This record gives sequence, structure tokens and C-alpha cells, in this order.
Amino acid sequence: MAEAPVLADPFTQTADRLKTLSKVMSTKAAIAQTPKELIWALNKAKLYRYTPVLPAEKRHPVPLLLVFALMNRPYILDLRPGHSFVEYMVAQGYDVYLLDWGAPGPEDKNLKFDDYTLEYMPRAIRKMKAVSGSEEFSLLGWCIGAILTSIYSALRPDDGLRNLILLTAPLDFSNKQGLTFARWVDERYFDIDKVLGTFGNMPGEMIDYGAKALKPVENYVSNYMKLWDNLDDPRVVEAWHAMNTWVTDNVPLAGGAFRQLIVDLYRNDRLMKGELVIRGQKVNLSRIRANLLTVIAEGDHITPSCQSESVMTKVSSEDKELFRVSGGHIGIMAGSGASKRTWPHINNWLAVRSSRS
Amino acid sequence: MADQANNNKPFDPMEPWRGMRDAYLDTWAKSMVEMVNTEAYAQATGAMLDTYLTVSAPFREAVEKAMLKTLEQLAMPSRADVISLAERMTNIEMRLDDMDAKLDALLKLTVRATPMTSTEAVAAPRKAAKKATPRKQAKKGKR
Repeated sequence: MAEAPVLADPFTQTADRLKTLSKVMSTKAAIAQTPKELIWALNKAKLYRYTPVLPAEKRHPVPLLLVFALMNRPYILDLRPGHSFVEYMVAQGYDVYLLDWGAPGPEDKNLKFDDYTLEYMPRAIRKMKAVSGSEEFSLLGWCIGAILTSIYSALRPDDGLRNLILLTAPLDFSNKQGLTFARWVDERYFDIDKVLGTFGNMPGEMIDYGAKALKPVENYVSNYMKLWDNLDDPRVVEAWHAMNTWVTDNVPLAGGAFRQLIVDLYRNDRLMKGELVIRGQKVNLSRIRANLLTVIAEGDHITPSCQSESVMTKVSSEDKELFRVSGGHIGIMAGSGASKRTWPHINNWLAVRSSRS
Repeated sequence: MADQANNNKPFDPMEPWRGMRDAYLDTWAKSMVEMVNTEAYAQATGAMLDTYLTVSAPFREAVEKAMLKTLEQLAMPSRADVISLAERMTNIEMRLDDMDAKLDALLKLTVRATPMTSTEAVAAPRKAAKKATPRKQAKKGKR
């Protein structure tokens, strides 16, 4: 006699798959699990210190400050246990700090790069120095966070910055043909005054649409197909769930900073030309002397490599390295290959430069 | 080994369909990336956004005015009032942070000024007194 459940199996299987799909689409994954404590806050910005797991004598004496983009949540750096850059670096003996910019409200619509780099960052760094007891520190900036850290490093070269790591840094906007974003925000088509006059801050949903529209089929169709095909594989589902939680958690971009990003950088490339003025001071990238590691994602469609390469010739750093890694804008740090390629490289580079001087 | 694994894998009638689907999606994705990277697309999305902002502006203004009047009648703070308060709060936070920085600096100076252990701290005034005595005597002697 044939066994009875044979016919029922496909139905049970489909029901299970639909249950998983519903859960993944309607709930948030448990993210940002590495233990941390809040040590400083100003307006929406918060500075966290991750609880060290190694005794003080085994830790690197130079603390590491992570600065992420303004329009996304920084927990992509600490996505989920076992797949977290923060967790990895803490285990490698770093005293890790994270600057979370928070979500700007209507009262923050005038915040500019000036405020972020000369009000918030120096204050957060002062607090980090006080807590860590180290006058020197390392900075890691990712995406717009790399713009902020570059500006800060150029304006405050004597603040104790020893190592600077730039991840997928959009600094050079001279290649207009290679930048889809540059085409979209061209002044002929995009009225920034009207947009900011209406919204105050740039809404997170619009930024999210812009990022996804660069690869519409992958983001709106293939992404969900991949989930559907792998609903029976808990590892894929868990990874997809965590990433989807992050991707759908959008943050607006302060109006003042968005205007600078579009007008000063995308349209006029003022940072690379040495014409960007922050609080009356020109940002001169040649004033950066810290050891520099620039990481480029070879498959990055948001920040193509042409935007990150030229900074290497602008800085005065004697110790500098350009590291190319296969993967996309986010994938190089949060993808399945990140723990095998990008993280170990950053750790190896930073470890030898984080000893007591 | 791989052949053996493939042989043991049950036949999936959907596999060829999936292959065709993925190939189609790849082609579609490439053409869409090319499409969004054109001047025409930038112009069209810009025009759509502009139209939306222009058309919705009178409605937004009407809602804002009505809300403002309602809040006034209910003796409730308006959005502008709350924003103004939030800005003042941030300014106060900044001043507090400045004071925190100064306090940290003072503490650092205090620690530097007293780098001695508890036994040293007890012995220090005695040593100072001993050192001071001959000077006093010398001064007295001079007089």
C-alpha cells in the first residue's frame, strides 16, 4: 500500500512556505545584538561603546569609531550574531564605538555637513577619548559616512586620528557619465528647492526608491524570487529577513546635508576640486595624513569605483592602500563573503597600526 | 561524488522553468539598468516629481492652515512651536556637552596634579614641612 501522506505533502509544504513568507514579510528580524552601552548623546545622535570581550591587556590600545551613512541605520554593521562586523572586530580585540546619527526630525532640516563634522563628530570623539583613555583613534567611514570622516580628517588633522578607513566612499563626482544618480539630480530635471521646500528633510522612502531604482528588477523582482526559491532553507531565509529588516528601515536625510550632497558634490564636485567650504574653511584633502585604507566594491552600482580611487592621490598619507573586493555596496560588509574577505583584510591592516606608539 | 549527488537528487519538474525565468530576469534587468541610466528617464522622473509637488501643494497648504487653526482653538502648540522648542533643547544639550567637556578637562588636570599613592599623600605634608623649616630659620637668621 502506498503511504497516505504522499498526496498531502505538497500542500503541507506549500502551507509551511507561505507561513514562512508571511512571517518574513511582516516581522522584523532580531538585529544589532552585540552588547553595547550608550556613552554619549546629542540631539538624535548617539555614541555607543561595544562591550569588550577580551581583557584590557589583550586589546588594541587605539579605539575604533564607526561612522555610517546619514540616511540608513548603522546596525548593518552589526546585522545579526555570527554575521556582524562589530562582533568580529570586538572579538579581534578592538575597543569599538559606533556613532548613530539617528533620524532627523523637522527641527533638524537645516543640519549640514558642517554640523555633523564640526559639532557632532568632535564631541563624540572627545567622549570616546575620555572613555577609552587614548588620545589616538581610528575612524571607519562607510558611504556618506566616508564623506563625513574625510571632511573631518581634512579639517582636524591634529585631533589624534591615526588610521582612516574609507568604505565605498563617494568622494569624486567628476565622471558624470558614470554616475546614474548625477544624471537624476541634474539641475535641469531635479528642483531641489521645491523638494526641500515641501518636505524639509529628504524623505527616507524617496532615498530608498532612488537606491532601488538603480537596479529595479533585482530589487523589486529578483530579490523576492530568491526568497521564494529558498523558503525551505532556514539559513537563506534568516539572512534575507535580517537584510530586509535593514533595507526597509529608512531614515530621512537632513535637508541641509542633502542640499550639500546634491549641489556641492553631485553637481559641482567641490570636495575633489578643493572648493568645498565648511564653516568658512576650505576642505583640503591633502591635509589628511592618517594611515589610509580605501575599500572599493567592484560590483558597486551606488558608488562606482571611479568615485573612490582619486582620493588616494589627493591625501598626504605616507601609508595608504587601495583594496578592491568583489561584491556590492552593502554586500562587501554584510554579505555572505564579508567575513572571509573584507573583515579579515580590515583587521589585518588595522591591527598592525593600532599598537601603542 | 558530485555526479553521485546529482543522481540522488530527485527530479524537479520546475527546474527548467526556473532556469528560463532566471535567464529572462537577467535580460530584463540589464535592459532596465540601461533604461534608468538615460537622460529620458531622468527627465521623466523629474517631471513626475515636479508635477506631484505642484499639484499637491495647494492641498498641503489647506491642510496645514486648517490644522493650525484647530490647534489654536484647542490651545495646543503648533508644529512650529514644537520645532522651536526642540531646537532650543538641542542648544541646551550642546551647552551641557560643553560643560561636560570642561569638567572632563578639569578632572584630568586634578588627576595629573595628584599622582601619588595614599601613603605618599600622608608623607607629603611632613616632607614639605621639613623642607620649609630651614628656609624659615634662614630667613629669621637673616633678619
